[in-house]
Amino acid sequence: MKIVVPVKEVAVLDEEFELLEDRPGVDPDAIDWELNEWDDFSLETALQLREAQGEGEVVVVSVGDEEAEEGLRACLAKGADRALRVWDDALEGADPLTVARVLAAVVERESPDLVLCGVQSSDAVQGATGVALAAHLGLPRVAVVKALDYDAGSGSATVERELEGGLTELLRVRLPALLTIQTGINEPRYANLRAIKQAKEKPLELLELGEVGLDEAALEAAAGSRTRSVAPPEAGGGAEMLGGSASDVAERIAGIVKERMAG
Amino acid sequence: MARDPKYDILFEPIQLGPKTLKNRFYQVPHCIGAGSEKPGFQAYHRGMKAEGGWGALCTEYCSIHPESDDTHRVSARIWDDDDVRNLAVMCDRLHEFDALAGIELWYGGPHAPCMESRHNPRGPSQIPSDFEVNTHPRYMDRDDVKLVQKMYVDAAVRAREAGFDIVYVYGAHSYLPLQFLSPFYNKRTDEYGGSFENRARFWKECLEQVREAVGDDCAIASRFAVDTLYGPSAIEIGEDGVRFVEYVDDLVDLWDLTVGDIAEWGQNAGPSRFFEENHEKPYTGQVKAGDHTNKPVVGVGRITNPDTMVAIISSGQFDIIGAARPSISDPFLPKKIEEGHPEDIRECIGCNQCISRWEIGGPPMICTQNATAGEEYRRGWHPEKFHPAGNRDKGVLVVGAGPAGMECAMVLGKRDMSAVHVVEADKEIGGCVNWISQLGHSDGQENLARGTARGLGEWKRIVNYRQIQLDKLKNVDVHLNSRLSTQDVLEYGAEIVIIATGGHFATNGLNPATHDVIEGADTSLDWQLTPDEVVRGGKQIGDRVLVLENEGYYMGVSIAQKLAGEGKDVTLVTQMGDVANYMEFTLEAPMLHRDLHRLGVKIHPYTMLEKIEPGACHAYNVWNPAHKEQFEVDTVVLCTQRLSNDELYHELRADKEALEREGIEAVYMIGDASAPRMIPDAIFDGHRLAREIDSPNPAMPLPFIRERRLWGNVSNEDYDSRLLNTPDVTMAGVAK
Repeated sequence: MKIVVPVKEVAVLDEEFELLEDRPGVDPDAIDWELNEWDDFSLETALQLREAQGEGEVVVVSVGDEEAEEGLRACLAKGADRALRVWDDALEGADPLTVARVLAAVVERESPDLVLCGVQSSDAVQGATGVALAAHLGLPRVAVVKALDYDAGSGSATVERELEGGLTELLRVRLPALLTIQTGINEPRYANLRAIKQAKEKPLELLELGEVGLDEAALEAAAGSRTRSVAPPEAGGGAEMLGGSASDVAERIAGIVKERMAG
Repeated sequence: MARDPKYDILFEPIQLGPKTLKNRFYQVPHCIGAGSEKPGFQAYHRGMKAEGGWGALCTEYCSIHPESDDTHRVSARIWDDDDVRNLAVMCDRLHEFDALAGIELWYGGPHAPCMESRHNPRGPSQIPSDFEVNTHPRYMDRDDVKLVQKMYVDAAVRAREAGFDIVYVYGAHSYLPLQFLSPFYNKRTDEYGGSFENRARFWKECLEQVREAVGDDCAIASRFAVDTLYGPSAIEIGEDGVRFVEYVDDLVDLWDLTVGDIAEWGQNAGPSRFFEENHEKPYTGQVKAGDHTNKPVVGVGRITNPDTMVAIISSGQFDIIGAARPSISDPFLPKKIEEGHPEDIRECIGCNQCISRWEIGGPPMICTQNATAGEEYRRGWHPEKFHPAGNRDKGVLVVGAGPAGMECAMVLGKRDMSAVHVVEADKEIGGCVNWISQLGHSDGQENLARGTARGLGEWKRIVNYRQIQLDKLKNVDVHLNSRLSTQDVLEYGAEIVIIATGGHFATNGLNPATHDVIEGADTSLDWQLTPDEVVRGGKQIGDRVLVLENEGYYMGVSIAQKLAGEGKDVTLVTQMGDVANYMEFTLEAPMLHRDLHRLGVKIHPYTMLEKIEPGACHAYNVWNPAHKEQFEVDTVVLCTQRLSNDELYHELRADKEALEREGIEAVYMIGDASAPRMIPDAIFDGHRLAREIDSPNPAMPLPFIRERRLWGNVSNEDYDSRLLNTPDVTMAGVAK
């Protein structure tokens, strides 16, 4: 069983940060990079499936610059077999549809039984990449999966989806398919020091656009949107900042509440 | 990062007579165990805080003459020119950082037992100390008054010579000047007793004479307890408290205000289990609020929160933020605010371990939160600076994230080790602190004095600080919910393994009183519990509970407090003369006893259990074992002793071949896993190992400088050269 797990290195902002002046975005000095939280769970799902089958391959893929390698190495340390990174400067600031197009080209090359994405990334929070990738590949897809039971005999999986209002939807999906995995589906493992060292020897391949049959024109054709600017919200009116000690602040809040309730 | 402008007010200079205090951070006089006889300790401890941004640092109480000798406790002394020489080292060190040096001139009266000097102290009336044993002062006649006042003046002149900027006439905590002022001590009928003016006369004359002698060069300060909390028999804030401030206001350049007296000075150095931050405000806050002074006022109250500090100054409560314990816990508190990272402040937890060592008499001060406190000179440790480890390429596995493990991992991270993994079995870091910090509450009702049983919640700051630091350290990974087997550790891939797996309470009654188990003791039964089981819940607790307290510190009594507060009928049994002896040293005992008494806890000292049966505990008197007693109870809590969780360590060490095969070069054990101990000592152990992880034999602590007299011709080098490891505090700049 071969599983492809697309992962993303997400930006974590410092408490204080500056916006770039020459292009939309945040000054990289104020950014820490870490693997997207949802991807921990999709990777763990893939690893558990492989372990349950007793054979197979888990391939992690990321569209990103050199920063993405640390996240891929972390996935290798946890147990992924191979890692692929696709990058071209033209991908700088790419939207989810463009990223999905690139991932689709990689997945087609790998032709896996299952593609497991995270529901969303914690920095952009669009929840679009997995869905768009399924569309590009023409695969059945199930979103926001919180439980998964794979039946090798029938080549299908029974999955539970998380719905609003605490409802659960139960579906059966035939493989190959694409699932987007919700946090909490499992308890992601961590890598010990030995695994981290050994991961340095595992294959991590850099692919250029041409190697997956794409070029800049293809990226432009795939794009759905472009970030024109990033700006802080206009300061709103009507907010009163309360200063002083905790008891001063509490007293003032109590005063305001009483005032409003009386009014 | 720049500091938040809301804190600007904390960095405004203020004039103290002839001296300028550069900001509002002031370390009030507090003991450390250095005195004048460990000048390196004194200079480097205070100097560390000066480096950390404190505007002024004071000595501990400083005896002005051999007839005020506090031995067995350690005070500073300025008896002669040799003391001047030693104390000058501190002054020079502080001046390097543009901080002011203060000295608290002290004459103890009956509270000075003079065990070294064998002099006899003088006092206003011949009433022995209320806490020393049989120390009667000699009654001071008029000549004696003049003699002692001359001692103050001579000491002040010597203090100026040493380089001190602020000279105190110390009365607070009921030492001689306050003994004259307080009718509790002063029963005189001459012009030094009786009316307010008469009782104030001695202190006023001292201030006048000291001011006359050194007032042009030094700021004159007085430390004054505005209320001794004894009611009308002594000093009350609304009476002699504000009256005295007004009466001598012209003679001081700075008021240092406190409450309480020395016999129960936990009302001043309030432990967190009874007192919240800024707890003295209802008393000391009245002086400025009532417009009783025109002089700057410094006050205390375990103030660690910068927002509280701003509120205190902007509301006019005090002009200057005083600190003893918060400055020990974080010598760099001002710098962290100034540099815009107040989240890094290592907040005092109010456990009073620092004070306990002075109360014991002799040992150097320690701090639960700051393992480097007291180690600045003798071990060369800096609280904020760390050398990259010589073996930083090694991977380290720390098993267990309790006090020792957290501290060790944090320091290893700060020492730039390439990879540190902390693996914790529980769902959060903190170890025993997570349940211990839930202890000490009773029923939330007012106690019989100031303060209430607030519990040990502030002890959780031990975890909070380390959590924030570990989160920031990119080279430290913390893994939770993971219990490692011996095989897991062997295969982990770490070259250095540190076992910090903590300890557990004995389940069978094994105890320090009999060195044996107790017949029938077995906490696998549903009606017998270890202390942690009481907090964690899960076992039904009956109405009648017996707590066996063999430890002598907070555990047994805290369990009793908790259960009695929940309405249980609690019997507390100890083999010692009193429960929780160590809490006398931490100043928690008086309030604790008020709470236990109010809750109806029955205390049986000198009593030990010989047999536990369902429904009954069989006890005997330790001085007469034939004297038996039986307690009919439903539930028994065994707080007898702890044992190390050291199986993992011994299993690993037993198989040397496996260690070699797996590439493990060293296995160390720290904290309770090595031997159960108090939390500050567990943290110290973890810190010590990390500081010395690249020494020739990290398992054995390196030697430290011992400031004892060396016979014959010696130089400072003979002391400093004892420090074999690379010190984090530069030794440059000390007066050699």
